Amino acid sequence: MSDQERVRVLSVLVEDGSNTLSKVSGLIRRRGFHVRSISVGPSRAAGRSRMTLTVDAGHAEVDQVRKQLERLVEVVEVEDVTGQYVHSRELVVAKVSASEVAGLLKRGAKVLDAGPDGTTVEFAGEGKDVGDFIDELIQHGVLDVARSGPVVMRRTA
Amino acid sequence: MILEALEREGVEFIFGYPGGANLPIYQHLPEHPKLKHILVRHEQGAAHMADGYARACGKPGVVFATSGPGALNLVTGLATAYMDSVPMIAITGQVASTQVGRDAFQETDVIGATSSVTKHSYLVTNIDQLPRVIHEAFHIATTGRPGPVLIDICKDVQQADAERINTERLDIPGYQLNGHVHLERAREAARAVANAERPVILAGHGVLLSHAESELREFAEKAGAPVGTTLLGIGAFPVNHPLSLHMTGFMGTGWNLKAVQNADVLMMVGMRVDDRVTARLADFAPKVKTFIHIDIDGSEMGKNVRPHIELVADAKNALEAMTPHIGELHEGRGQWFSQIDAWREEHPLKYTHSNGHLQPQDVLIDMYRRCRNEAIVVADVGQNQIWAALWWNYDRPGLFLNSGGSGTMGFALPAAIGAKFGRPDAAVWCVAGEGGFVMTAQELSVAVEHQLDVKIVLLNNFSLGMVRQFQDDFYGGVRSQSELTHMPDFVKLADAYGMPAVRVDRFEEIGPAMDAAERTKGPFLIDFRIDPEANVYPIVPLGKSLNDFWEAPDK
Ligand SMILES: Cc1ncc(C[n+]2csc(CCOP(=O)(O)OP(=O)(O)O)c2C)c(N)n1
Ligand SMILES: [Mg+2]
Repeated sequence: MSDQERVRVLSVLVEDGSNTLSKVSGLIRRRGFHVRSISVGPSRAAGRSRMTLTVDAGHAEVDQVRKQLERLVEVVEVEDVTGQYVHSRELVVAKVSASEVAGLLKRGAKVLDAGPDGTTVEFAGEGKDVGDFIDELIQHGVLDVARSGPVVMRRTA
Repeated sequence: MILEALEREGVEFIFGYPGGANLPIYQHLPEHPKLKHILVRHEQGAAHMADGYARACGKPGVVFATSGPGALNLVTGLATAYMDSVPMIAITGQVASTQVGRDAFQETDVIGATSSVTKHSYLVTNIDQLPRVIHEAFHIATTGRPGPVLIDICKDVQQADAERINTERLDIPGYQLNGHVHLERAREAARAVANAERPVILAGHGVLLSHAESELREFAEKAGAPVGTTLLGIGAFPVNHPLSLHMTGFMGTGWNLKAVQNADVLMMVGMRVDDRVTARLADFAPKVKTFIHIDIDGSEMGKNVRPHIELVADAKNALEAMTPHIGELHEGRGQWFSQIDAWREEHPLKYTHSNGHLQPQDVLIDMYRRCRNEAIVVADVGQNQIWAALWWNYDRPGLFLNSGGSGTMGFALPAAIGAKFGRPDAAVWCVAGEGGFVMTAQELSVAVEHQLDVKIVLLNNFSLGMVRQFQDDFYGGVRSQSELTHMPDFVKLADAYGMPAVRVDRFEEIGPAMDAAERTKGPFLIDFRIDPEANVYPIVPLGKSLNDFWEAPDK
């Protein structure tokens, strides 16, 4: 199986609880899977969070990741959103030494603040665009980068 | 509060041990005479007793332990129950909620330490959560694929009072049970078995947990398909039945393994299809065109073997739905049966009984003659376990209990004690090796204290027999740390605990010793000093395929 085929993107609705994150991550480790990225935030429902997990199934059948997660009582719902029918967005916030950032703005970056020591910019996009954006940052004297994992949403059409 | 909730759940026995962090519970225990507390001598014993109790009578076993070392002593017992899907409730004391995280005296992150060996767990820091948590815990432990649930309760919560909250309604969004059987697939599966030239059914613990033995039997008889069981599935199909293939797996019978390796359709019911069943996975059942897998836990589908037809359902419901669709059978069935009969003749279970030593099989055959299918046999782990599994024709469910998935030495004695509490009407025999026996031997006190009619059959081979056999056969014959040279005099040990016991060295002494055990009311121990070179056969060499099983040498 290729690297790509082993990786699933899962949108997981979980009950908030002190043990939820460690249950999810513990399960992934114990089953020999590997987390590529994870983002967690509150969901629309009170008391529940939405996790977006990118997981490598390792030597297991890829569907095992979803099935094993579903066994956890803390997990309410798992949706496999691997593939094209989703919007996937990552966020990057970066500090660059340059004050001239037109190249970044052209890509769709937003300036958060600017000062004598440099400029702070933010950019959101597909994983590949974020990667390209970070490459571009290098030309602007990048000082620091913080990058999130993806969050995903099914396409409306 | 906790104790009332346990009464409401119908709890009769609690296996436990007190300590600083659960003393508030113990303070009120005497006010609840309906809850019978069995004071163990080590918390691991409590966990195995609760496990044996649950396996024997089907009700969840309940355990109490204090925080820190008390709770940690449960871990092996929880893992044992978790691997074998046994319903259990462990209630552990935790330091006060205001102390959590401060490394307080006897504080351990018990939830963290047990999360991977429990079906679910709760940390209760607020009294308002407690009634719901206890009710949910029993529900989760006993439904679907059963398993142990741990409730870690902070000491201040144990002391608090709560309004009685109505807990009749359960709402656990993340815990949905598989209800209905996929009827189209059930029909397809039934037809696949019927149309097979060489069908085989393997039955696991799930069949017993779902009480599907008669449904399995009806299906197998109508579909003309031979049935083998896993080690944990023993009792799911009568060994004396003409369609029985006895036990499968890497210490299964030769005719079973031949049948599995030559089957064209293999139906696996209520089992995990683990490495002890498949041996080398790439060569498991290589001629199968259609794998059918039935299990209540959807994650078992394709975990080890990818089925062509999968039914995620309770075994009983699935088999019931399948049987009406069997229809015509493949005409090659007669030939398949005669082939299996030929393998049965060619590869019988055998052992040497004339080398001057006492043979374990002689002991078990005598036992079987006496108690047939009236007694519950609880085996430990090692050679003793496999002998007890193979040299006994279990024909009903619930007669053979053992730690199959986890292989926990020290399981048998406490589990046998628990089984006797759960089934006071049944004779209970504990079969153990001397190595495993001494791991939890302190629980002899419990057997004596309650004068439990548990008969202990020690198959004493002066070694960690299974390890010694592996070393002889697969690790260059180097007997490294597997010989037990300094062991107690078991008759004196039993005597020290106040239990009658005898030693048996010769074949002729088996009968009289067994007579004495049967005559004695209460516990009794027999130290059978067996052939130190006796081995378990058949056996598949480590890393090899089921085809490569070794048989007992003709001596
Ligand atoms: C707690 C634990 N430790 C180690 C093992 C590994 N092990 C499996 S069988 C065995 C030997 C058991 O010896 P004994 O209890 O005397 O039984 P026998 O095989 O001799 O019948 C050992 C050490 C185990 N299964 N469980
Ligand atoms: Mg031994």
